[in-house]
Amino acid sequence: MATTTAALTISSSDLVGDALSLSTSNTLYKTGTTTGLDQTTGLAHVYLTAVTNIDLFGAIIDAPAYEGKAHWVYICNKSEDANEYARISIGDKVIGLLYAGDWMWMPWDTAADTDAGNKHADIELAPSVATGMRIEYAMIHEGFEHATAV
Amino acid sequence: MATTATITLSSDIVSDTLKFSTSATLTKAGGATALTDAVGLSRKTVAGGHAQYTLFDGDAYGDGSHKVYLKNTSTNNTEYFIVEINSEQMGRLYAGDWAFFPWEANADTNDIKIDPSANDMTLEYMLFYE
Repeated sequence: MATTTAALTISSSDLVGDALSLSTSNTLYKTGTTTGLDQTTGLAHVYLTAVTNIDLFGAIIDAPAYEGKAHWVYICNKSEDANEYARISIGDKVIGLLYAGDWMWMPWDTAADTDAGNKHADIELAPSVATGMRIEYAMIHEGFEHATAV
Repeated sequence: MATTATITLSSDIVSDTLKFSTSATLTKAGGATALTDAVGLSRKTVAGGHAQYTLFDGDAYGDGSHKVYLKNTSTNNTEYFIVEINSEQMGRLYAGDWAFFPWEANADTNDIKIDPSANDMTLEYMLFYE
């Protein structure tokens, strides 16, 4: 069984009066079990040269087989220009902006339709500039149903 | 003033060990100015299972480079929180799972809500905002 561990450390010596030092770690399991996740996209790296909004992991199909199963998403903006950001959305709802050097780690249900707008919960990314932005990303999961080729 | 967040991920899913570590200094949008405001490390116990609770109200925060930390403190591996943003289902945090992501409160409706799968589940959370 594969073992994947994700650890987080948040620290600050001066954000609050008492120094902040938060550490947590978890092992990634299949939904509701203690069986480790066994599929991944690997750590990918792309260079995006348009501000076009894209589906980072492909589009969720209707009635996806793995809806509600365990999927973990890592995205990092590798830009070194502090003004450049990547807008991350789920469906058509903005989650937030990843500025240069920022990263995120989130669970993903790959839900087909939970929103009244009838939008599938695709993970979408839009660079703020067309001059080139490097994005690193990975998904670790227990299954993702890809669209049939046409 | 500086706050840093570091993720370290290691896995033997593939033949060549997948392992990386990335650190980010938490700054305000569009610059190198550090985030200076935070909702301190908090805990919320939701008494009723499947009783949705608004954790962060989009109406209370403006646009910005906010960062959210969430952790399900349950030790029962069947218990989870569904995390929603602006009514869109993001994902599930099972026992011990954590998440860290940017949040742009760009609309009054861009709330972050949690929905526990059982009674008396406790979520640990923190918000860094500008």
